[in-house]
Amino acid sequence: MISASAAMTGSYDYLQVVLSVVIAISASYAALDLGGRVTAASGWVRRAWLIGGATAMGFGIWSMHFTGMLAFRLPVLVSYSWPTVLLSLLVAISASAFALYVVSRHELGMVRALAGSVIMGSGIAAMHYIGMAAMRLAAVFRFHPLLVTLSVAFAIAFSFAALILVFDLREETKGTPSRKIASAVVMGAAVSAMHYTGMASASFMPSTVAPGLSHAASVSSLGNAGIVIVTLIVLVTVVLTSAVDRRLASQRAELERGRELATINEELRKEMLERQRAEDALRRSEDQLRLVIDTIPALVWSASPDGSLDFLNQRWLEYTGISSERGLGWAWAEELHPEDREGFVNAWRSAVATGEPFEHDVRVRRADGEYRWFSKRAVPLRDELGHIVKWYGTTTDIEDRKRAECALQEAQAGLSHVTRVTTMGELAAAIAHEVNQPLAAIVTNANFCLRQLASATPNSDKLREAISEIVNDGTRASAVISRIRALLQKSPPERVAVNVNQIIQEVTILLRNEMTRNRVSLRTDLAADLPRVSGDPVQLQQVLINLVMNSIDAMRSLAHRPRELLIKSARNHNEVSIQVQDSGAGLDPERAEHIFEPFFTTKPEGIGMGLSISRSIVESHGGRLWAASDSKGPCSNLLYQLSST
Amino acid sequence: MSNVAPVVFVVDDDPSVRRAIQRLVESVGLQVELFGSAQEFLRSERPDAPSCLVLDIRLPGISGLDFQRQLAEANIHIPIIFITAHGDIPMTVRAMKAGAVEFLTKPFRDQDLLDAIQIALERDRTRRVQETEVAKLRERYESLTPREREVMPLVVSGLLNKQIAAEIGASEATVKVHRSQLMRKMGAESVADLVRMAAEMGIPAAKPKAP
Repeated sequence: MISASAAMTGSYDYLQVVLSVVIAISASYAALDLGGRVTAASGWVRRAWLIGGATAMGFGIWSMHFTGMLAFRLPVLVSYSWPTVLLSLLVAISASAFALYVVSRHELGMVRALAGSVIMGSGIAAMHYIGMAAMRLAAVFRFHPLLVTLSVAFAIAFSFAALILVFDLREETKGTPSRKIASAVVMGAAVSAMHYTGMASASFMPSTVAPGLSHAASVSSLGNAGIVIVTLIVLVTVVLTSAVDRRLASQRAELERGRELATINEELRKEMLERQRAEDALRRSEDQLRLVIDTIPALVWSASPDGSLDFLNQRWLEYTGISSERGLGWAWAEELHPEDREGFVNAWRSAVATGEPFEHDVRVRRADGEYRWFSKRAVPLRDELGHIVKWYGTTTDIEDRKRAECALQEAQAGLSHVTRVTTMGELAAAIAHEVNQPLAAIVTNANFCLRQLASATPNSDKLREAISEIVNDGTRASAVISRIRALLQKSPPERVAVNVNQIIQEVTILLRNEMTRNRVSLRTDLAADLPRVSGDPVQLQQVLINLVMNSIDAMRSLAHRPRELLIKSARNHNEVSIQVQDSGAGLDPERAEHIFEPFFTTKPEGIGMGLSISRSIVESHGGRLWAASDSKGPCSNLLYQLSST
Repeated sequence: MSNVAPVVFVVDDDPSVRRAIQRLVESVGLQVELFGSAQEFLRSERPDAPSCLVLDIRLPGISGLDFQRQLAEANIHIPIIFITAHGDIPMTVRAMKAGAVEFLTKPFRDQDLLDAIQIALERDRTRRVQETEVAKLRERYESLTPREREVMPLVVSGLLNKQIAAEIGASEATVKVHRSQLMRKMGAESVADLVRMAAEMGIPAAKPKAP
């Protein structure tokens, strides 16, 4: 029977209370510490840490709780049902395990933290009230609902704070020991607060009913001390183990780092070796390159972007006999032939200014004082922005080539002279006619004058007229003679500014009779504003005479078609073209390829040198001579083009 | 007709030579006309007067010898004097065979040219007179009756009236009348005269059928 008397008043053993708070703080510290270890580990180690940690932590919480309970002294004998106590211990361990599991996850969202804290808090609250339910005493519990709710809320809040704190502090690097301790103190205080709130929610009504004492055991002071000591030992062991493990882990990490460092070092050493080897190779190749540059049978030089020479290879120095002092910078200009110096220096300066590849022939004085012809060429080296960083050049001795060219030119001139003479021989009849015409007029006019003078009344007007015609015809005959003499003369080829139309006119005068004799009608189509070309007038006349004579020959067999010859001059950009076209049978393509070959002829009495010589003359003028095909039916159509001055 | 002044035509492509010849020929009182080419000469209107042609062998487009043949083919009978700066024997022979008056090589002697011109003009005059004579005879011949034209070749061939009568199937008296009419109309004084006229007109003598 239960009397409704006033509740029993209990008192607290304050030493025990302090002890419980210490245990709470210790357990919290162990929890904070364990959170880090569980997170850091993986695999079975992680499981072991989870189970061990949960056991220690659960044991700590439970121990705090139990110590707190023992600190509460009631005026009645209190004993405890040990299976229920064991159950409360299991609940504490489970809640701890759950908590550790939650915080050791990679992420802790707000939802997960809340859910975790509800479960953990409920677990702790359950542990608390199960622990209280283990009390066996001669009294009944009355729970103050508000305080119960508050204690559960405290448990959940404490769990939430604990989860957040542990999660935050689990990183080994993060958080200093002082911060960890401060957190442990807060957590321990919260746990204690929850516990004592829970305790405060219960009031004990005295009861006459004797408590069921099966499985009950009283906790002696010694037992109580034992629990505390065991708990503290467990917690210290856990913290120490954790510390040792952490140390080991960090040592492992350090070892790992050390190994990494060693690998990096090894790599660095290798790289250095490699670099050393590359540098050696580079040096070797540089040496080799230098050797090549110095021994190559060419005179090599380089110049800075302003055009001053900054390098001359050994060959250059040896070959020219010019020392580097006299060769570098701009000093080399003094070694050039005085006639070539200005032209060469100007050309070089202009190349340097424009960045165009440079090529120029020049006479350079050798050590023995002899001037020799050299061809100097250079190209610029540019950086990625296109700025010239260097000029590289070669100097080539072309003295022998020049001499050979001169000899060839002489030989060609000789040959062209021979063919000219031959052509003149073929033209003898036409030339005789050309001279005879003015002579006939002169003789006739002179006879007229004699008759006039013999008569009684000479007509002085008529006489004057006739005499001036004699003068004109005499001049005309003399012009023909000098024209022929120029063609027959053997003179070195010259280069003067030539009016192409004038050449055409001269030739048509010379050949007019030959054309008349062969009944060829001539048409000329001369462009008005032709630039002058640089050339040898006699040689250019020779080419044209040759082409016209060929055309006349080609039309000789024409019986039923008009024999027409067209000589046309035209401007083609900065070139002047001269075209000779006849109405003959034309060139078949097979022959067209051969007509320029020496000794190729289609004429019974020809020697086949005309077109070959003509082509070499035109080419020596920097022009070209070719047979053009024309769509207007059969006709030979020869063109030559010369560049203007 | 003989009072028409003779003309000398000069065809040469060299103007200077042309003018010199003109000067020379005019100095002996002859009229001269100059041409630069054969075509120019052909296109010109030539006066009806005794004339001759001084022709250069080398002409633009056509040779002088070919031109000579062309003129002959076109029935233009003008005496030609060739001049050339560079002639050869075959050319000369060909020209002379084709009836050239003279073949002169430039430079020629002035007198040679003038002489040749005189000869050529004389030849042309004669030709012109002959041409006039034949024209007259042709006119007379046109006035004959068909019978008289039939009798004429027989007379020219020297047949007797009796033979002619037998030949044409008429009486001897009729033939006598035809013959006298024929002689009168043609202005022939004798048979020999008639024979000459027939020859000039190119009428051949008839051959008797059977003796």
